[in-house]
Amino acid sequence: MEVSFSKEIESLRLGAGDTFHGEGILAITKALLQSGVAYIGGYQGAPVSHLLDVMVQAKEYMDQLGVHVEACSNEASAAAMLGASIHYPLRGAVTWKSIVGTNVASDALSNLSSPGVTGGALIVVGEDYGEGASVIQERTHAYAMKSSMCLLDPRPDLGVMTRMVEEGFRLSEASNMPTILELRIRACHVRGSFATKDNVSPAVSTRALMEDPSAFDYMKLAHPPVTFRHEKLKGEQRIPAARKYIVENRLNELFPGRHDDLGIIVQGGLYNSLVRSLQQLGLADAFGESEIPLLVLNVTYPIVPEQVADFCIGKRSVLVVEEGQPEYIEQEIATLLRRRDVQTRLHGKDLLPAAGEYSVEVLSTGLTQFASAYLPGPATEEARRWLTGNTERRQAAAAALAKPLPARPPGFCIGCPERPVFSALKLAQEQIGNVHVAADIGCHAFGTFEPFSMGHSILGYGMSLASRAGVSPMMQRRTLAIMGDGGFWHNGLLTGVQSALFNGDDAVLLIFKNGYTSATGTQEIISTPREDARFEATDKGASIVHTNQTIESALRGLGVQWMRTVTTYEVEKMRATITDAFTSDFNGLKVIIAEGECQLERQRRIKPWLANLLKKGERVVRVKYGVDEDVCNGDHACIRLSGCPTLTIKDNPDPLKVDPVATVIDGCVGCGLCGANAHAATLCPSFYRAEVVQNPKWHERLFNSFRGAIVRALQPA
Amino acid sequence: MKQKPISLLICALGGEGGGVLTEWLVDIARHAGYPAQATSIPGVAQRTGATTYYIEVFPATLAELAGRRPVFSLNPVPGALDAMISSELLETARQVGNGLPSPERTLVITSSARTLTTQERMQMADGRADDADLLKLVRQFSRAHQVFDMAAIAKEAGTVVSAVMLGAIAGSGLFPFKREDYEAVVKAGGKGAEASLRGFARAFEIVAQGKAQSDFVAQVLAPQLDPAGTLAPQASPPHHAAHFPASVHEMFGLGYARLLEYQGRDYAELYVQRLQQVLAAEREADPAEARGHATTREMARWLALWMAFDDIVRVADLKSRASRWSRVKGEVKLGDADLLKLYDHFKPGVPEFAALLPPAFAGRLVAWDRKRVSDGRQPWALPLKVGTHSVLGMLSLRTLASLKWLRVRGSRYAVEQQMIEKWLQGVVQGTRRDWQLGHEIALCGRLIKGYGVTNERGKENLLHVLDHLAHAADAAAAVRAAREAALADDAGKALDATLVQHGAPPRPVKAVPIRWMRKPKLGETTKAA
Repeated sequence: MEVSFSKEIESLRLGAGDTFHGEGILAITKALLQSGVAYIGGYQGAPVSHLLDVMVQAKEYMDQLGVHVEACSNEASAAAMLGASIHYPLRGAVTWKSIVGTNVASDALSNLSSPGVTGGALIVVGEDYGEGASVIQERTHAYAMKSSMCLLDPRPDLGVMTRMVEEGFRLSEASNMPTILELRIRACHVRGSFATKDNVSPAVSTRALMEDPSAFDYMKLAHPPVTFRHEKLKGEQRIPAARKYIVENRLNELFPGRHDDLGIIVQGGLYNSLVRSLQQLGLADAFGESEIPLLVLNVTYPIVPEQVADFCIGKRSVLVVEEGQPEYIEQEIATLLRRRDVQTRLHGKDLLPAAGEYSVEVLSTGLTQFASAYLPGPATEEARRWLTGNTERRQAAAAALAKPLPARPPGFCIGCPERPVFSALKLAQEQIGNVHVAADIGCHAFGTFEPFSMGHSILGYGMSLASRAGVSPMMQRRTLAIMGDGGFWHNGLLTGVQSALFNGDDAVLLIFKNGYTSATGTQEIISTPREDARFEATDKGASIVHTNQTIESALRGLGVQWMRTVTTYEVEKMRATITDAFTSDFNGLKVIIAEGECQLERQRRIKPWLANLLKKGERVVRVKYGVDEDVCNGDHACIRLSGCPTLTIKDNPDPLKVDPVATVIDGCVGCGLCGANAHAATLCPSFYRAEVVQNPKWHERLFNSFRGAIVRALQPA
Repeated sequence: MKQKPISLLICALGGEGGGVLTEWLVDIARHAGYPAQATSIPGVAQRTGATTYYIEVFPATLAELAGRRPVFSLNPVPGALDAMISSELLETARQVGNGLPSPERTLVITSSARTLTTQERMQMADGRADDADLLKLVRQFSRAHQVFDMAAIAKEAGTVVSAVMLGAIAGSGLFPFKREDYEAVVKAGGKGAEASLRGFARAFEIVAQGKAQSDFVAQVLAPQLDPAGTLAPQASPPHHAAHFPASVHEMFGLGYARLLEYQGRDYAELYVQRLQQVLAAEREADPAEARGHATTREMARWLALWMAFDDIVRVADLKSRASRWSRVKGEVKLGDADLLKLYDHFKPGVPEFAALLPPAFAGRLVAWDRKRVSDGRQPWALPLKVGTHSVLGMLSLRTLASLKWLRVRGSRYAVEQQMIEKWLQGVVQGTRRDWQLGHEIALCGRLIKGYGVTNERGKENLLHVLDHLAHAADAAAAVRAAREAALADDAGKALDATLVQHGAPPRPVKAVPIRWMRKPKLGETTKAA
C-alpha cells in the first residue's frame, strides 16, 4: 500500500521512561513487542487493520528484534499459525476482525485449544459490534466458551489495555489455553497515552533459531484418543489454573463504594460508559469514584466463581452489565449463585436491552430503573428527566421535518474502477432482464446502495459464487456472482470456483481485479502489482494491475474455459461482455475479470508524481469532465447510472427551467465514466471532456494560437 | 474547579480529515497540559460516508489534578453535549435528529455547505433537502449556533476543511486553550501548515466575532433573484407585452426571446398567438383575476420550453458559442499558460437524423432501425467524440447549427407541433371547465424535457394523462397526482399506480426486445474430459 506508517513505527521503538501517545490499536501493537512476542500474523479488517499494517511496514525493525511477521491469506491461516506455540516456547499473536474472522478461524482454533499451548498464544480481535460496525452482530464470547479459550475484555484505558496484553500471554502459558483479547471499535480508535517499557526480543527468534524439532508427543495432536483427555483437562486443570492466575494477579478489578449492599458486575470494555452513566445519575464523580461497588471483569471468560460469589454475598442486589446476546456471563453467575444458595437478587437483561451497543444513554435507561428500585432519590429523577428529554427532542425533531432525512451510506470513491461495472450491469439488465446477483464482501458491496441497489445475498467473504449454487439450478436464467480479488484469494477460489468447476455449474462470476483488499485499507495480496511494475510504468497514473496475472493463471490452472478480461471503464464493452456471458452457448463457469486498479492507490501515486513534474516545468495533461448547463435536461439519468460524488446537481441557471441541472464539481479525477456512460446509455449530449495541457511545448502553443484564431472566427458570441 | 469534562462531537464526511482534526485537538490539550481523550468510528466511512469523532477535555490541568485521572466517556451522550461542530449541514441536522445537541447546553457550529447525498441527486425532478428546514432544526435544538460556509473558507485559504473546523473550535472558546496552543500544533504539522493557518485564522475570526450566524441568516433571508439565464438574453418585452398582464411579462419576455433565438420571428409569433388563447380562457375562468393569471404565466414558461425542443441543431448551436468556450475555461480552472482541448460526447441515433428529414423519408429510416432492433441488434447510433477546440470540430458544429431552415421542414417538428396543440387545447378547455384543472395541465409541461427516450417518455406520459384524466371526476386533483407520480421513477411504476387509482388505464405496455438467456442445462457438465 502507498500509505506510510513511519510515524507509528517510530512510536514502536519507545523504551522504558518514555510515554506513548496515540491510538489504542497501536498501543496494543507496542505491547506485543514489550511482551517478547516471537511471531505475528493476521488478516486485515477494521478496526484492527493497523496492527498488521504497521508491523508489515516495520519489517526492518522486526528483523532486528527477531520477530516474524506474516500477512496471512485469511483468518484460518492466521489461527493455524498459532500451532507453533503448541510444542515450542514461542509467544505468538494473531489478529483479525470479529465475528467474521473468528468464524473463518474457528476450525484451527478448536484444534489449537484441544492440545493446548506451551508458549503464550494471543488472538487480538476487533469486536465489530454496535455503531460503526460493518458485519453481522454476534459475540466472540461464544467461541471462547466452546473451545475453552480465555477471553480478555480490558478497560478501555491504554495502561490497562497494554497490561492485559502481557498478562494475556502469561495467562495463556499458566493455563495452556489460547487467549483472546477483545477490543471494541471505539477502544481500538481511542487516543490516549501510557508509560512504555523496553521491547523484549524473544529468546527463540528469527535471529536465534531452534536447532531441532521437539520430540514426538501424541498428546500434542488434536486426534483421538487424546482429544477425550484434552476435553477433560480443560475442566480439570486448565480452567482452574486460569482462575488461579486471574485471582492472584488481580486481572479483574474491584472498586468499592459506599452503598455496599449493592453491586455492579461489568465487562471491562464497558467500564467507561458505565462510569459516565453513573455520573449522569449522580452516583459517581468525574474520577470514577462510584457509590455502588463495581467488579470490573477484564477477563470475561473464564469467570472466577469464588470472586463473583464473594462480591455478591451480603448484597441486596447485583446488576450484570453485559453487551450483546445471549447473556452468557449473567447466566453463569445466576447458576453459580444458585448453586451456592446466595440469595442476592440478580439483574441484567431484565433491565437492559438484549441487543445492540451499550452506549451511555442505553446503560442509563437500565441503571435508572436499578437505582430507582434500590436507591430512590432526586438524582434518579434528574436522570429520568434527562432521558425523557432526549426522547421528546427526537420526536420534536422528526415532527419538524417534512420528510425523513436522506441517508448517507458509504459509497464508491471518486473515479472508483468498480462503479462503471455496475453501470454496465444496469444497462445489460435492460436488454437481458433482471438477474439474480450473489453479492460479496468488499467495496463492491456498495453496489447494494443507491443508485444501483443490486445484490440478492451476502453469505460471507468470497462466498458469492458458492452462495448461488442452489439458486442457478432452480432458475430460468443464469445467475451472476460478484467477487473482489480480496475475496477471491481469501476464500472464493476454493469455496466458489473449484466447487463450480467440479460440479460443472452453469454460472457467471465477475471478479473485480483492483489489485488490493481495498475495503480494509488497500493491503497487498498475491495479485498486487509488484514494486518494479510501479517503477517501470511511464505513466504513473495508469492502472498497472494487468502486470500481475496470478488470478488468470490460477483460473486457467483449475480449468476455467470461458474467461474474458475487460477494463472496467469501458462500459459499452463491459455491457456486451456481460450480455455475452448470459446468452453464450457455453454452459460451464464463465468468468469476467473486471480490471482496473483501486483509485485510492492510483491517486496516492499520481499526486506526488504530477506535483513533481509541474515543479520541474514538464508537460502535464489534466483531465476533467463537465456538463453544459444549458444542454443538460435536468432528468439526472446520468446520476442514476453513476452516483459519483463529483457528479452532482445545482440550481438551473435558466430562469425558464425549474429542475436542477447536473454538474461536475472539483475533485473529478477524469476517470472517463461520464463519457463512457453518455455513449453506452445514449444519455443527453451535455457531457464534455476537457484536457488541460499544463506547461505545453512551444510548438503546441504556436499551433494552438493559429487554430484558436480560426475557431474563434467561426464562433458566434 | 469544574468537575465535568468538556465534550465535543465532530461530524464529518469520509476523507475530510476528521481524524487529523481529532489528533490535533488531543495534541493541543497535551501541550496545554489538560487531560483529554478522543475516539472515533471511522469504519468504511473513508469511502465518502458520514462519520463522527468524539473528544472530551477535562477543564483542570494535570498539575491541578495532582495525579487524579478523570474517567472519560467513549460515546457522545445525547443531551449532555457541550458543543458539536459539523462540516456539512445535513449531517448536522442528522445529529439533531439523533437527539445529541440540546437547547439547554449545546453550542452548534456548522457549515452551511451541502454535499448532496445520492438519494437527493438521483431524483428525476428536484430531490434536494431544503436548507431552510435543516437550518430550522439547528436553530431550534441548540443553545447557540454559528453557521457559515466552511468549504468556501477552506477553498479560499487553499486548505482542507479540518483546519477551518479547528479555527472555529478555537474561536468559540470552548476549550481552556490559548490560540497559540492551537497554532503551535498546526505549525508542527509542517507540510501545508501555512494554508492550514490561513483557514484556521479566517474561521477563528468568524466564530470569535460571532458574526457567522447573522451573515448566513441574512443571506438566506435575502430575496432569491433569478440568475440571468445563459440562454435568455433579457429581451425587453416585445410589442405584444401590452396584450399580457404585468404578472406574465417576465416569463413572456424570456419565452419570446427564447423562440426568437431558437427559430425566428414567425415561430415566436406563433408562441404569442398560442399563449393568447390561454390568456383568453383564463380571463373567462377567472374574470376577477383572483389567481393573478398564474396559468398564463406558467404556460409562458412551459410552452416556450416545449416549442424550443432540443434537437441536433439546437445542441450544436449551444456547444459552439464563444460564451460556452469561456464558461468551460472557468469550470476547468484554465491557467493563462495552459492549453485547453475540449471534446464533446454525442451519440445521435436514427431518430435524431430522421427528425430533420421530411416525414416520408423519416418513416422509412425509422422502420429500418426498428427492424434492426427486432432482429436483436442494437438500434443504430453514431458515437462521436467531437474536438470542439479543433477547426474541423467547430466547422461541423456550426454547419449543423445552421440547419434551422431544415428543422421546420423535418418530421419531428410536425409531430411536436401536433402534440403541443393537443396539450394547449387541453389547457384551454380545462381552464374553461375549471381554472384549477387548466392550471394543473399547464404544469404538466414539466414532464417534457431532454432528448431521445427521456423526451419520448415525457410526452407519452403527458398525453396519456390528458386523454384519460382530463375528464375524470375531480380531474384537477387526478392530474396533479399523476404529474407528481410521473416524476417519481423513470419506469413509471408510480404513474401507472396513480392512473389506475383514478380510474384510468395504465400506460400501454411497450414492446421491448429482450435477449432471452439460455436456461442452464441440467446435468450437462463441462468438466474438461
